[in-house]
Amino acid sequence: MSVPAQSYAQYQAANGPEWLLRIGDPEAAPILFVPPLFEEMNRTRALLVATMRGLAADGHCCWLPDLSGTGESLTSLPEAKWDDWRHDVTNASKHVAVAHGQAPLIAAIRGGCLLDDAATGSGHWRFAPVPGASLARDLDRASLGGGAEWAGYHDASAVLRQALAAAVPAGVELLRTVRLSTDAGAADAKLEGPALWRRSEPGNSSEVAAALARDIAEWRQTCAAS
Amino acid sequence: MALTDAGEVEATLRAVLADVLGLDPARVARFDESTELFGALPEFDSLAVAGLLTELEERLGILIEDHEVDAEMMASFGSLLTFARAKTLR
Repeated sequence: MSVPAQSYAQYQAANGPEWLLRIGDPEAAPILFVPPLFEEMNRTRALLVATMRGLAADGHCCWLPDLSGTGESLTSLPEAKWDDWRHDVTNASKHVAVAHGQAPLIAAIRGGCLLDDAATGSGHWRFAPVPGASLARDLDRASLGGGAEWAGYHDASAVLRQALAAAVPAGVELLRTVRLSTDAGAADAKLEGPALWRRSEPGNSSEVAAALARDIAEWRQTCAAS
Repeated sequence: MALTDAGEVEATLRAVLADVLGLDPARVARFDESTELFGALPEFDSLAVAGLLTELEERLGILIEDHEVDAEMMASFGSLLTFARAKTLR
């Protein structure tokens, strides 16, 4: 299998330009990923990129944005606001739509599912969506057992924490939800695999990445045909 | 959807430890009551605590209060199992 084309682009985010990682042929059908939040983003980055590479090899073009105050952003986390993140997701989806001349499928993971309704897409796909209150509780708990306050994100502002705790996945059109088989929540499909976002050592699973890539590709086709 | 069977609670605890700590399930299957965990197992550090608690809550259908969590409760497989059974099988 050849290595899919990879490059970076900038989009206009809330506090200035932020980076988008692109994997895949720029002429191929676009998919915009909305990443998990805080520590879960680090823990699932390898899984996301493996999924993006799988989709790229299958004739798709995948995009992954840095949100304000995350990744390579020049904005510091204390300055980042919840509405900035929603604005970023909106603008990232517009950037991809302009680049391709068609709206992308929006693929959101975990906390990304709290922001993905801000994007304009051809359809929505969610993996292991979670209420913001659960994520906030996990972060609150990170100091139990002697860990760092808020898993090292202690400088996240109080308003950002409150907005996270109040957020729930919004209802969207053309939505497919996938969860792990160990997750009791409602889903259109369940798959076997580890909850990588829980692991303190970031890991990866080529099986989960391949299963997600297959499911996303099929849903994109379904949305494109509707 | 709380579990009612002590064996199921133990199997769930082993699955959660393997999943959250990234351990080989065959190795976790050999854990006994005296196997030391928190502070002894390098994978079981403070960063892993929140994930372990949340995953146990979700899969056992229980709620764990912060004041119930201390190093002693997580010290060994036996102490964690005792806690999980007491919370689940009430």
